[in-house]
Amino acid sequence: MTSSQTSGTAPLVSIRGLSKSYGQHQVLKNIDLDVHEGEVVALLGSSGSGKTTLLRCINLLEIPDKGRIEIGGSAIFDTPAGAGRGAAVSQRQVNGLRSRVGMVFQHFNLFPHMSVLENVMEGPRTVLKENPATNRDRAMDYLGKVGMASFADRRPDKLSGGQKQRVSIARALNMRPQVMLFDEPTSALDPELVGEVLETMMSLAKEGMTMIVVTHELGFALEVASRVVFLDQGCIDADGPPADVLLHPTSDRVQSFVNRFHATAELMRPLLQNN
Amino acid sequence: MFDWSVIFQNTDLIVKGLGITIYYTVLTTVLGLVIGLVIAVAQICGFRFFNWAGRLFVEFFRNVPLLVWLLWSYYALPIFFGINISKQAAGIMALSLYGAAYYAEILRAGIQSLERGQSDAARALGMSGAQAMRRIILPQAFRRMIPPLAGQTIIQMKNTTLLSVITVPDLLYQAGYISSFTYRPMEIYTAIGVVFLLILIPSNYIARKLEGHN
Repeated sequence: MTSSQTSGTAPLVSIRGLSKSYGQHQVLKNIDLDVHEGEVVALLGSSGSGKTTLLRCINLLEIPDKGRIEIGGSAIFDTPAGAGRGAAVSQRQVNGLRSRVGMVFQHFNLFPHMSVLENVMEGPRTVLKENPATNRDRAMDYLGKVGMASFADRRPDKLSGGQKQRVSIARALNMRPQVMLFDEPTSALDPELVGEVLETMMSLAKEGMTMIVVTHELGFALEVASRVVFLDQGCIDADGPPADVLLHPTSDRVQSFVNRFHATAELMRPLLQNN
Repeated sequence: MFDWSVIFQNTDLIVKGLGITIYYTVLTTVLGLVIGLVIAVAQICGFRFFNWAGRLFVEFFRNVPLLVWLLWSYYALPIFFGINISKQAAGIMALSLYGAAYYAEILRAGIQSLERGQSDAARALGMSGAQAMRRIILPQAFRRMIPPLAGQTIIQMKNTTLLSVITVPDLLYQAGYISSFTYRPMEIYTAIGVVFLLILIPSNYIARKLEGHN
């Protein structure tokens, strides 16, 4: 049972028949995936399973070979019938739709030539041409929310990894996206900094933000995600509530994956429960 | 044994030569940067043909000695193609194109040296390619380019001395001319060397300041 089948409303993100190859290697094989508003989807899988590629296809940082992607009911990518390769809808539309999808990267990718506040203001400023005062106020609100308001005037290179990642979450939120994509947001962090980022993501989830999270944190998947999608060799191998998929795996691949990360998951659990 | 008075007696010629040297340096640097930017963009744009043409341009000028290219521009163009070109035009063209090849490499490398994540983050916010270039990529790339651009410009100034072989009356040409009637080449050429040092050492210093300031 997948949660996409249980909900009657139209999905926020809808993916059909998505395929992507690099040369001879097929990374994604005919993926179908629906994500509804308010869902927190943990995208799991061993490295090379295609989870990051799938995430990057959702805002077209990777251009798929084939398939159809809709966000909020409008297609951002579609293979015309009979065409060999798919094509993005016009570049202008893609830019517009991308601005409705926030993305947080493994390596933060903050803009080093701008202050923390300028980083958060940059999207609305350049893309939405927003009023600077409104933009600044809201940017400060989001910085406050991720606990970084007092760092507004710092340069990113003066921050710890966890602080950088929280700023990058604020930067994405300031575009007021309909869905947030997280690409291994804690993988580049020192272990003691992982908690503060997960905490920020948890509070975001509680507020009902739709999130798709590529992660290795099984603890996060169990405690925060409303749904786990397990990828294996470019196919969806399991999809369902976290407890079902991870604690009572029906697939050998999920079983061996969970076993490998069992120790980490146990370590994370008390930390997450304390919050 | 040295007689430095020949320098003071011929200051007017040296100043005239310096003016010519600076004129050619500024003009060929500006032209070289403009052409270089076009070549750099050609090399990284999405069109295979332009990538290839840009590469060919850079490889050609980097692998032909400047002196050969300069003489060829002035003497061979009229012979082979019947194009009559003044020595000034030949000099400006030869130095600009030569400089452009090096500037293009600096600009291209500067843009490409930025982590892919920077343009990913810009695009993920919804920026167009041009917006990402202007707001995110170029401001960071330019900072990295200042030292090599300054270095190349200094080389460009020194390269203008080659113009004397096609009788453009630059500093070096004036030095030869003054020597021919004063018979004091040691003093004259020493003075010319000092003039270059006096101009280029402070230039280097300013470039370094700019780099640190950014």
